Amino acid sequence: MTDVQTNHDWEGRYYHIDQILDAPGPRTDEGFMAGDGVKDFLRKQSKILVIGAGGLGCEILANLALTGFKDIHVIDMDTIDISNLNRQFLFRPKDVGKSKAIVAAEFIMNRVPGVKVTPYFGKIQDKDDEYYLQFNLVICGLDSVEARRWINATLVNLVDPENPESLKPLIDGGTEGFKGQARVILPTITSCYECSLDMLNKPTAFPICTIANTPRLPEHCIEWASVLEWPRVHGDKKMDTDNPDDITWLYTVAAGRAKEFKIEGVTWSLTQGVVKNIIPAIASTNAIIAASCCNEAFKIATSSAAYLNNYFMLIGIEGIYSYTFEHEKKSNCPVCGGDSVSLSISREMTLEELIDLLTERQDIQIKNPSLSTPTKQLYLRAPPQLEEATRPNMFKKVSELVPDPDGGEVTVTAGTLPFSLSIDLSFT
Amino acid sequence: MNDSQPIETATTSIQMPSGAPDAKTRRYDRQLRLWAASGQAALESARILVIPATATTTSILKNLVLPGLGHFTLMDNKVVTGADAGNNFFLDGFKSIGKFRAQEAVNGLMEMNDGVEGVADVRNIQEVLETDKGWLKTFDVVVAHNVDSVILDDLAALLWPDTHLVVVNSAGFLADFSIHYREHQVIESHAETSPSLRIDQAFPALLEYAMSLPLDTMDITDHAHIPYPVILVRALEEWRREREQVSGPSSGRGVPRTTAERKAFKERIRAMMRKFDEENFEEAEAQAFKCWTPTVIPSEVRELFNLHLSSTSSSTTFSSLVSALSQFSQNNPASPQYTSGLLPLTPSLPDMKSSTEEYVKLQKLYRAQSDKEKQVFKEYLSRAQVDVNDATIDQFLKNSHALKVLKGREWKEINPGAKELLAGKLSTHTKETATHLALAAIRKLRAKSVIPSLEHVSSPNDTAMTDILDKDKLKDLLTAEAKSFLPPGVELPEAEWPVASEVIKMITKQYIPISAGNAASSANDQLGICVVDLVETWTGIL
Repeated sequence: MTDVQTNHDWEGRYYHIDQILDAPGPRTDEGFMAGDGVKDFLRKQSKILVIGAGGLGCEILANLALTGFKDIHVIDMDTIDISNLNRQFLFRPKDVGKSKAIVAAEFIMNRVPGVKVTPYFGKIQDKDDEYYLQFNLVICGLDSVEARRWINATLVNLVDPENPESLKPLIDGGTEGFKGQARVILPTITSCYECSLDMLNKPTAFPICTIANTPRLPEHCIEWASVLEWPRVHGDKKMDTDNPDDITWLYTVAAGRAKEFKIEGVTWSLTQGVVKNIIPAIASTNAIIAASCCNEAFKIATSSAAYLNNYFMLIGIEGIYSYTFEHEKKSNCPVCGGDSVSLSISREMTLEELIDLLTERQDIQIKNPSLSTPTKQLYLRAPPQLEEATRPNMFKKVSELVPDPDGGEVTVTAGTLPFSLSIDLSFT
Repeated sequence: MNDSQPIETATTSIQMPSGAPDAKTRRYDRQLRLWAASGQAALESARILVIPATATTTSILKNLVLPGLGHFTLMDNKVVTGADAGNNFFLDGFKSIGKFRAQEAVNGLMEMNDGVEGVADVRNIQEVLETDKGWLKTFDVVVAHNVDSVILDDLAALLWPDTHLVVVNSAGFLADFSIHYREHQVIESHAETSPSLRIDQAFPALLEYAMSLPLDTMDITDHAHIPYPVILVRALEEWRREREQVSGPSSGRGVPRTTAERKAFKERIRAMMRKFDEENFEEAEAQAFKCWTPTVIPSEVRELFNLHLSSTSSSTTFSSLVSALSQFSQNNPASPQYTSGLLPLTPSLPDMKSSTEEYVKLQKLYRAQSDKEKQVFKEYLSRAQVDVNDATIDQFLKNSHALKVLKGREWKEINPGAKELLAGKLSTHTKETATHLALAAIRKLRAKSVIPSLEHVSSPNDTAMTDILDKDKLKDLLTAEAKSFLPPGVELPEAEWPVASEVIKMITKQYIPISAGNAASSANDQLGICVVDLVETWTGIL
């Protein structure tokens, strides 16, 4: 049989897609194997991983299935919430509380016969290198910076120059309201997610003294309730921001404080928005960004046309504005660059202040880091014995801690990130 | 990134008094944070017609059904083919083959939201255009995808200007679309600019308060909590008084202009510090530019005054509001020193270094002045004898610095567009224009029941553009650019193009849809067409 047939394929099923795959077009790649070769690869051999089965993930899964990818895996650690239903179109009210990955996979397999979707209800960090090596492509529809950094670093680390198969293209999409972006990352070749970390918006952080002493905005009152009052009243009990009772408690406490300070505007919704850091999201933006991501996946998998090099940004607040550009690789990227980051600090700076600086810097943003020099441990988060042993260093001057009085190399690691950052430290 | 809005305005009308939101508010939470209850209400009462049931239109509908559109009718007289079933997620695979496309797609779409009314109409649009004209005009928006040009011409002429026609043309990786309207008014534009704090033209109570503070003798902690607008107003007033002493009486409106003056002014602020680390004074120094950034009426809003004074439709609510705003800008007795050239003051303040007490005090000053000016505005508005509720007035005043009135184009103007205009666009926006022209050619072919193929697109004899460009040039252009369509009959299953977002903007009258420019502007060089290329992955506006 020359044609790729399965039991589910009916006449004309791939009429549209086949027209793209049957003959080269003016913008197809030289390596394009028009006809059965490319169809066979797409429908029988390729294996694609989708990370996230949320707003983007639902769209991505449906698109991939229709374009002819037949072996799709999906990972998501979340369960379905009622607030997902305004855009995550594979879910229904009866699915609330169930695993997103599992429900989405079932829906796709029902709707698009012959497609196998393998769900994993859990964390991307649960999976090892061997797992990720089985895929030809990875598409991310995530709302978390941490998860993106993790998968990006993992895929960069997978690259073995001796083995071209180890290079897994990563397509990353993201949206916020009417804005979104899609990008293609070829690990070690193009700029990676970490290279562009400084493009992210700085998260709003309120100084603790404002929250404690001089609240002015309703947000300050809400932060007071969640950051200070919750642990004071509830001790070790963890706040569950998905539990409406916990939000109601925070709202009541925040509203009380607002009243005391004559501040207007604390509402239940705002409380929920602040503590959960809610990002507005709509189906239409997700659809266009997911379409762009899947289109790139299709082009890369089939070589039917050139793929995005490498960043597409869409802003739909005032008309439709978009910007397509090549984001440049950073030579001192801690993930894909070779060079270390130079950092010049005051001789007076304590280790604690240095850690704050690393957390805050837009291009670094490492939370809860451990620091060491090639010969000495400066501060380690774990195990507890080492944490205790290195804790006194926090209040010492960095210039007195490092072996070389002129500075030198400091390695920064964080449990949540599978890479280390090398800093070339000097003192002013 | 600031396209969300304060949640208190987003949920006031549908939030339960006890605090926790009801099921509907929870379901729509992530979009209410964008367009609030008012936008949601508009969406829920909107009626749209979509022709025909393609992969593209069902994707567009999906993105309108999910957020809770009121009603849609999907019109298509064809039955599902194998190709349709393989390409459209909202058909039920091979089980749908042979059944009506419209009905099968409506079934698939309606599963997603039972709050939406969806109707399948299996009539032929051509027939409906002859027999049911009035009904077609009952819709707020009509979306037509890859409809041939003869039908489109009739449909567009019938619907202009009250029903907004959205024309979507796609072929493989490429598409263009446009929205037809005469004028589109947006109060809630969600602009990222914030209204002026009027530092340079302080209202009496603010000026009086700023001048009354005993800066040198007051408690040192209080001193470190004076909000920066108060510091700036004080510093500027002292600077002005000193200058009057030197150079005689002036209008009292002077501000530091030269680099040296501005530098000296910042040093003056620094010198007002009583302790080296008073963050509020540091903030004042950083915000000093607000002293010499004049509070003016944005030019776009000023242009509106003229537009609406000359327009005949001054009886509408929007025109009356703009007219009252125009009168306010000429005479605002609530600001005795600066009576003209101002928009009504908005009561909202940004966050700033300050104690709660001082911040709330300043907020009250702004609110009191804002209330006074609102009264003045309402006085002007009452002369128009149009009944406008307080919520609308508040919304209008809050956004008066960012009002938008857009102009659109009629279909016949952009199908494919005026010769001279297109010739110009071909040199400035080559890729976008070529794509647009080639899509127009395909539409023309479709009207002649020719199934477009690569050969047809690259032979210009039969296209709409032969009279626009000379043959050779057109041939080169189409070969180089438009050939990259790949087979033009192809419809990518994932292609939605950013159409649904634009429909939402039109319906909610929030955010700014694509347009042919500002209604008040005399520039006439924009077609208002969005072009999308998913090979190189870009969008452009013609």
